[in-house]
Amino acid sequence: MTILGEYALWIALPISVWGVLLGYVGGRTQRGDYVLSAERSIYAVFFLLVLASLGVVSAFLGDKFEYWYVASYSNREMEIFYKITGLWAGQRGSLLFWAVILAFFSTLCVFLNRKKNREFMPYVAGVLQTILTFFLIVLLFADVNPFEQLAFTPANGQGLNPQLQNYWMTIHPPTLYLGFTAFTIPFAFAVAALLNGRLDARWIELTHRWILLSWLFLAVGIIFGMRWAYEELGWGGYWFWDPVENASLLPWLTATAFLHSIQIQEKRGMLKVWNMSLVLLTFLLTIFATFLTRSGLIESVHSFAQELKIAYIFLSFMGIVLLACILLIIYRLPKLQSENSMQSFLSRESAFLFNNLMLLGFAFAVFWGTIFPLVAEGVTGEKISVGPPFFEKVNFPIGLVLLALAGIGPVIAWRRATKRNLQKNFQIPICVGLLVAVSLWMAGARHGLALVTWSVCAFVLTIIATEFWKGTQARARIEGEGYAVALFHLVTRNRRRWGGYIVHVGIVMIYFAFAGAAYNVDERQHMLPGDQVDITSPFGHTYTLTYEGLSVSLGRGQRNLLWQAIATVSVEQDGVAKGILTTEKRQYVTSDQLMTEVGIRSTVREDLYLILSAMDDVDGALSANSGAQGIDLQVLVKPFVAWIWFGGVILALGTVIALWPSVNRRRRSTRPELEAVTTDAPAMAGAAR
Amino acid sequence: MSMVFLGGALVAAAVTLFILQPILSGLHASLVRAEDELTDTEARKRVTLLALRDVEYDFLAGKLDEEDYLSLKADFTAEALAALEADAAGSKPHFLDDDVEAEITKIRAALRSGLMCRSCGFGNDDGSYFCSECGQELKIGAVG
Repeated sequence: MTILGEYALWIALPISVWGVLLGYVGGRTQRGDYVLSAERSIYAVFFLLVLASLGVVSAFLGDKFEYWYVASYSNREMEIFYKITGLWAGQRGSLLFWAVILAFFSTLCVFLNRKKNREFMPYVAGVLQTILTFFLIVLLFADVNPFEQLAFTPANGQGLNPQLQNYWMTIHPPTLYLGFTAFTIPFAFAVAALLNGRLDARWIELTHRWILLSWLFLAVGIIFGMRWAYEELGWGGYWFWDPVENASLLPWLTATAFLHSIQIQEKRGMLKVWNMSLVLLTFLLTIFATFLTRSGLIESVHSFAQELKIAYIFLSFMGIVLLACILLIIYRLPKLQSENSMQSFLSRESAFLFNNLMLLGFAFAVFWGTIFPLVAEGVTGEKISVGPPFFEKVNFPIGLVLLALAGIGPVIAWRRATKRNLQKNFQIPICVGLLVAVSLWMAGARHGLALVTWSVCAFVLTIIATEFWKGTQARARIEGEGYAVALFHLVTRNRRRWGGYIVHVGIVMIYFAFAGAAYNVDERQHMLPGDQVDITSPFGHTYTLTYEGLSVSLGRGQRNLLWQAIATVSVEQDGVAKGILTTEKRQYVTSDQLMTEVGIRSTVREDLYLILSAMDDVDGALSANSGAQGIDLQVLVKPFVAWIWFGGVILALGTVIALWPSVNRRRRSTRPELEAVTTDAPAMAGAAR
Repeated sequence: MSMVFLGGALVAAAVTLFILQPILSGLHASLVRAEDELTDTEARKRVTLLALRDVEYDFLAGKLDEEDYLSLKADFTAEALAALEADAAGSKPHFLDDDVEAEITKIRAALRSGLMCRSCGFGNDDGSYFCSECGQELKIGAVG
């Protein structure tokens, strides 16, 4: 099976090149047989990549250590689950994994559109095959072939990094990859639209849906990654502004910008070049993300030397795609002219535009902060680091403006907001925001940034709640429905708008949680069994933690575990027993470093987070020496962290609502067109003052 | 080993046949728009209708005031009519977005009856001349 998988990879290359040629030629010459052949080639490449992936998985399951990739990421003692997911454990396999998921989406796209959007599909197939060809070339010619064999067969493999042997880390790459690769589809439609010149309402609708879907996957993938970092890395945080995290954030930011600015194009026919550029840029950033994380550039610029081939291939590809996109846009400039112009600085158009500028500014700061150290090190040879302080300083203000815009956008008028419009719609929400700020101040909260964030959260929530209320009320009146039914119909009749509002609620919850970090408590204490420590939460209550002791269990190498030392801590809150938490140190066969497992007690208000930072006497503890039980315990109280995960769920729910398909087909009727609209024209003229 | 090689050759042959078949036997993929797919102008018209409905709703809910409402309504109506004319040139069977237009009609009726207070958005009972909520005079039958 493994060898068959390797053959499959080689067979896929000429097939995909065939697909590239026939897609474009079929589109130009409008030959249906060429186009069918190109579409079939996509199904074929998917089939072959699945074979290749199965080949890699079978090598893992069969402990075939003659393969470099298997030897590097597996060993005999590893659980079956991690052997299967070893497919995406390392660079080579994850490139193949990326390719097979891309092929999956390509197949899905071609299949769903076999009777639709036919003017686009030939070019779409061509573009998708172009990208698949790129990945096949990388896999086969850039020294990253997962089927590469060693000169000898090791007796056992090196096993997987224990930090990766965790549920979240296993599902996090697939969800992220689903997000990244999904953006290839709207990119393909964008290029197809540029090639065939059909840049109107249908292209917008098509692209919008695919981008929303991709955005959802990516958002979920990023949040899963945060969850993994929080639970597994054991540093008490969920975001570190490290290059890999930043790389995944960039396309998400540009896609968010697109989802907003596309509404201006829909309603007012403006920003066509801008929107097209955002789609192309988002795709390029997904390629950049995979380049950054899979080319070895991150470990150190010095590893660049060994990874030169793959880096060159990626950079060339990105350069060619960028150039092609620019040329195509210039070619189609006449069809991308704006139909209207901005009338006022105070309008929904300008709010959306401002939102875009903020998002792009945020993205640029993240991009610059990520590549600057790499560029600088490449030029000067000195290693510098750009850390959280830079990112926070630049991005926090931008983030706040974005949050405020989430409240302003929905209610400010299109074209030109009148003073009456502003007064009517913003008076109460601003008062609520100020009220919240004052109340928090009176309750003793003094952290400026957190206060501002929470009051803006209140402002936005008030506006969204009012929107739902007014909408439900209006609908209930005219349809004569009960409020619950009216709300349901309100949302289902305009899923994008109301789904979008729900997404904003999720975002508000996440901001709310982030601001809680201003009140984190962090203490470290040396403890012997029986010792107690009191920790006061920002909410005023006190946790009393009693270190009960250390229990050591020796593994026999199964699951690659040598030993684990579990510290048991019993928790009391204001005198009431709340159960026990454990935190551990583990030694794995496959790593010299000790791993830490944290203990988390999560409530709606805050997380109690325990870290076994250090053991006084490791050897003594392993020998069951009763005097060797001293530990350093780090205790953190982190307000509102659970709201990140709640917010993520709400965000996903809102997106699913927005994406839910509605009937968009022609129906046959003999009624005169636009009766409801046209009969009002004379009445309107008469009533106009 | 030779078994695997044979397997590989079979896969290669099958796949090649699969992709060459259209050209060899004259199978074609459709390249024209399907009967029930929206044209560009129809899609555009639909978007405009939805925008129009949103405007009606916002006015009904008291979010927009009259001046903005009338201006936006005029613009979107003109756009919808323009899209309709572009469409009619092709003399296809009528396309009707039943649900959206029915909604618009209903909202217009509610507005026409004037029972929705322009000031505070409160829905008054039949026969009222002044708003029960804020006391403003109701403009019965004024704006469509």
